[in-house]
Amino acid sequence: MTINPKVFLVLIIPVAVFASLLYYGIFWNIYIATHDYSPLARGEEFIGAEGFRELFSSVEFREAFKRTLLWSALLVILGNLAGIILAASIFQFSSPRKRNVLTTFFLYPLSLSLVVVGIIWRWLFDQYRGVNILLDNIGLNPSWLEGGNAFWSIVLVSVWIYAGFSAMLYLASFYNVDRSLIESAMVDGAGTITILARVVIPNSIQGFILSTIFLALFAIQMFDLPYAMLYLNPFTETMVMYIFSRFTSLYLYLASAAAIVVIAVSAFIVIPYALYGIRRWILRGAR
Amino acid sequence: MALGRVELEFSARVIAASAVVVVFGLVWVIPIYGLLSGSLKSLAEVQGTPVLSPPSELNFETIARVARELTGPLKNTFITVLPVAALATWLGSLAAYSIYRRMDRVSDSIMVAIAIATYIPYHAILVPLINLVKSLGLYDTLPGIALALLTYYTPMAALLMVIFMSAIPRFYIEAAMVDGAGDLRVFRRVVLPLLGPGLTSTMIFLFIMTWNNFYIPLLLSRGYETHITLKIFSYVGQSGTLYNEMFAASLLGSLPPLIVFLSLGRYFIRGLQAYGGGVKA
Repeated sequence: MTINPKVFLVLIIPVAVFASLLYYGIFWNIYIATHDYSPLARGEEFIGAEGFRELFSSVEFREAFKRTLLWSALLVILGNLAGIILAASIFQFSSPRKRNVLTTFFLYPLSLSLVVVGIIWRWLFDQYRGVNILLDNIGLNPSWLEGGNAFWSIVLVSVWIYAGFSAMLYLASFYNVDRSLIESAMVDGAGTITILARVVIPNSIQGFILSTIFLALFAIQMFDLPYAMLYLNPFTETMVMYIFSRFTSLYLYLASAAAIVVIAVSAFIVIPYALYGIRRWILRGAR
Repeated sequence: MALGRVELEFSARVIAASAVVVVFGLVWVIPIYGLLSGSLKSLAEVQGTPVLSPPSELNFETIARVARELTGPLKNTFITVLPVAALATWLGSLAAYSIYRRMDRVSDSIMVAIAIATYIPYHAILVPLINLVKSLGLYDTLPGIALALLTYYTPMAALLMVIFMSAIPRFYIEAAMVDGAGDLRVFRRVVLPLLGPGLTSTMIFLFIMTWNNFYIPLLLSRGYETHITLKIFSYVGQSGTLYNEMFAASLLGSLPPLIVFLSLGRYFIRGLQAYGGGVKA
């Protein structure tokens, strides 16, 4: 008893219109990137891949590109690590209430604006008035936001923001593990390490895959956090910040070419997920 | 013997886990603590004291002053974000119902297209949206920001609602159809009542996401008054080294999402779970 096609059409149209606008945005970028739209140009001249050649020959973009990919790798590694440590720790508490309270607590950074998070950490990283006051006691006085250090510091902040999200995904995987499986292994005399290695970790693959996908996506779209902390600092410029700065200085074809690169990199992650993951994980129960 | 060992190991595990939670927990508490204590410092105190030192007295002067400056942007954000979250959730649930009811190749493709549009960073496709908003004469207006937010968050709402809807057993719908109810009637009478938590979760998730959005209002506004995140950001340049003002603005501007998070956190988390691949906890 499938839905009446006319009703289907009417119900889907509003969402379809908005989604089409997003796709229109992708094709618009392709058009602009291949046509010279900069204010210096006289007309709309087809320039083919010239814009992309210029983009990749620019040191600034190459740096932003490499930095964004490095950010993704670091956020994936450190975020997964923090996430699995947090999840494994929260999982040790047997009371569901405690688990929920702890999960909620570690998720609170996600309810804050990245601008707010940026402002707080900008001050905690202040050389003389931030956390260094505490670190001084053990003889440390790092200059967190100076020069190249800023990148690593802001990466840590991003790990802080998304670790709870990763932990939540891992916990969901852990909960799917049959509790009796763990208990019977314990009664059989298996140690914690054995239980982790044999029972819990093999069941956490889904948490790992989802966590990796989303941490990578969060890093690729990084803008608000570094911008709120240090504006358009050359040491922390990401691809989206490059798009922003080219857009505001009206070099539209460069902004669009960079946008296409961001879209391509994300599509590389998103399309396999949408084609395979959604059917497998989301719609699993729907049929 | 065996049980004794298990118990011993069990308590050792819980102690180790508690230690991890406390150490991580400190790193999670410090920023919120700094935000609160910094906001309560007076002008005289903020210049000399470190961020993490407690205020010598509770001084609400900074908060009161900043609150007056934030009234306009707070109001603007509310009247932008609430209708956007509600409308996106409503339109998204209609689309989700049609997808859920169809379940063939067409609806599968639409679903995949919606998911791709949701997860590809909107940052990369905002320029044409700005042109569209400008051509409608809506640049630097609340409806303009609302339109851009709707464009991005409505497909996301549809995706979340499909995930929540997929938990509804099909035989409820089939039973109602056998009784002769039409598609829309089934939606109203059978699906909607079962969707309460899903609708709430989606709406709360969208409320927090749109409230905290920075990039969309940034590119669609001239000044800082249209959205709260812009206003908060404006303090970074304005007050230089006076972190009490920045912190007070951050605190006040975060209160609505924080209150929602603290009181209705489980719905937000369900929204997050749906966003993060529909995992069920």
